[in-house]
Amino acid sequence: MIQTKDLVKTFKDGEAETKVLKGIDFRAENGEFIVIMGRSGSGKSTFLYQMSLLDEPTSGQIKINGKDTHDMKPEEKILFRLTNCGYVFQDYALLPELTAVENVVLPLLMQNIDKKKAYAIAKEALTKVGLAHRFDNIPSHMSGGEQQRTSIARAIAHKPKILFADEPTANLDNESSKAVIDIFKDLHKDGQTIIMVTHEEQYADMAQKIIRLDDGKIISETVNKKK
Amino acid sequence: MLEKLGLNIKIGFFLALRQIRKSNPWTTGLIVFVMVLTFLNLVVVSGILVGLIEGSISAWHKQYTGDIIISALLNKDYIENSPNIINLVRGLPEVKNMSVRYNKGVILEANYQTKKINDKPNTASAQLIGINPGQEDALTGLSSHVIDGSYLTPADYDKVLIGNFLLKQYVPVDSPGFTALENVGVGTKIRIKVNDVTKEVTVKGILKSKVDNVSMGLYMIDSEVKSLIGRGDGNAAQIAMTLKDGADPLAVKRKLVLAGVDKSAKVQTYVDAQPKFLKDIIATFAMLGNALSSIGLVVASITIFIVIFINALTRRKFIGILKGIGINGQAIEISYIFQSMFYAFLGAAIGLIIIYFALVPLFLAHPIDFPFSDGILVAPFGETLIRVALLVGSTIIAGYIPARMIIRKNTLDSILGRN
Repeated sequence: MIQTKDLVKTFKDGEAETKVLKGIDFRAENGEFIVIMGRSGSGKSTFLYQMSLLDEPTSGQIKINGKDTHDMKPEEKILFRLTNCGYVFQDYALLPELTAVENVVLPLLMQNIDKKKAYAIAKEALTKVGLAHRFDNIPSHMSGGEQQRTSIARAIAHKPKILFADEPTANLDNESSKAVIDIFKDLHKDGQTIIMVTHEEQYADMAQKIIRLDDGKIISETVNKKK
Repeated sequence: MLEKLGLNIKIGFFLALRQIRKSNPWTTGLIVFVMVLTFLNLVVVSGILVGLIEGSISAWHKQYTGDIIISALLNKDYIENSPNIINLVRGLPEVKNMSVRYNKGVILEANYQTKKINDKPNTASAQLIGINPGQEDALTGLSSHVIDGSYLTPADYDKVLIGNFLLKQYVPVDSPGFTALENVGVGTKIRIKVNDVTKEVTVKGILKSKVDNVSMGLYMIDSEVKSLIGRGDGNAAQIAMTLKDGADPLAVKRKLVLAGVDKSAKVQTYVDAQPKFLKDIIATFAMLGNALSSIGLVVASITIFIVIFINALTRRKFIGILKGIGINGQAIEISYIFQSMFYAFLGAAIGLIIIYFALVPLFLAHPIDFPFSDGILVAPFGETLIRVALLVGSTIIAGYIPARMIIRKNTLDSILGRN
């Protein structure tokens, strides 16, 4: 379970201050698929970064599975991200000198998983996203869709408690976007908690809950009854 | 704690290996080239400076003192009881060659036949050295230093070999208090004046050496010198010897001392006999070499710093991603340390090959012709390894600092490329 209370994020540029998040209260239960939507500049990505512990909020509280993240040291946060979170970024965020399987295996090795076992898990994750034929390709030799699927494989290989995705289909063509979304649907079916930021309305339908942000505040929270 | 460090090292190595593999070969080549030059600078500059003096010491050893030299005590012109000492030395199983020298300070005069009454005399002071030509040549290879004319034979009673620094045409500078003979060459007759005795001799050969005692000496066969200086008792001024392979000069010196030779003479190994100024110059040049090498080390460190800083800066986004997906900052830092070590070790390895398989043999075969010595490259392996450690150590620090600077930045700012 993830919960935020009165979450505020302010950016400072010299004397100027921009309040991007203006006190957000939010709650997601385990196994939920939540889509965060809003127009450009509404603060949806910033909200995701605070929740996923990639950034430090100016004030407010974030609790993940009952643990207040405010008291965590930077090292603890890195370890928490490694073991509990999975990330899918808009621009794939793969390491260019590593092959697909190496990109996926790296966080597993960091968890001190035996090398053989880690590679087996990484290959299994890549196979799951349909990249069994791309194990040894470096990102620059793969299409955008394949890179994003590699990124998803990396995010899910260690079976994270929460999968955070920031505009995962924004840079993809329709076919690749559909493939990525299908993977998300399958993951959700298997009980994966997913929090995804997107501005594409057509993907809102697959979520259980749709959060809409505007000007740093939640303006609506809709439960998808079809789900 | 140790387990965590071990894991970070493992991940750091994993990342470094892949970064190096995928790096631009020209960039890698250039960095390694800078490392090679720095390493050569570290070893060769001080090595040549020390080698310059080492060449001088080696010449002094080979061309004059041999492995051990027995010489007259400070207040004496000769070694008392020389015949017994000569017999003792001759009986030592370690001794390979021996040369007995009879020395005396003399005045040389040339052109006395054509000199007019008011002309300034053409004279020079010299050390007359009486030798057995065969023994001396076997010990010091004196005949190989004859640059004009020919070497002495045992029958050359009225002939001499003269050091080139006693002849004006070979002396590079005019020095007050130092006189040399003018218009003297092979075949010229000169006079030797010692005490009240004068002897006319012919120059048979001219010697050139970077050992002053040779280049400023006047060599003549021993029997003639003995009679000229009145040394009928057979007491010599010096007894130099070389030892057989594997014999320890210190052990032989101890034997001689135990036999009481030190009561009537100075017994020195070639190391003891080195002039003090040479030892001082070695220390000075070693310091100078280290100072110059330190500058090279700083330049190499700055180079690595810049390379790693630019590398880390351009990879800032990926460093952010690594941190974002949970890779420990220390593991990322270690990956940059491994990269620095790779450059330093590769540079040092190539440098070692160049030094020991090219430069050292080259300088040994073709020493640098310095005015006072034949310079070689001195690079003792132990000291060279210390320099490898210095290079690696400084590049590790130079690689670690910029990596740490970038890694400490906010994770999300790095991922998004925000300042």
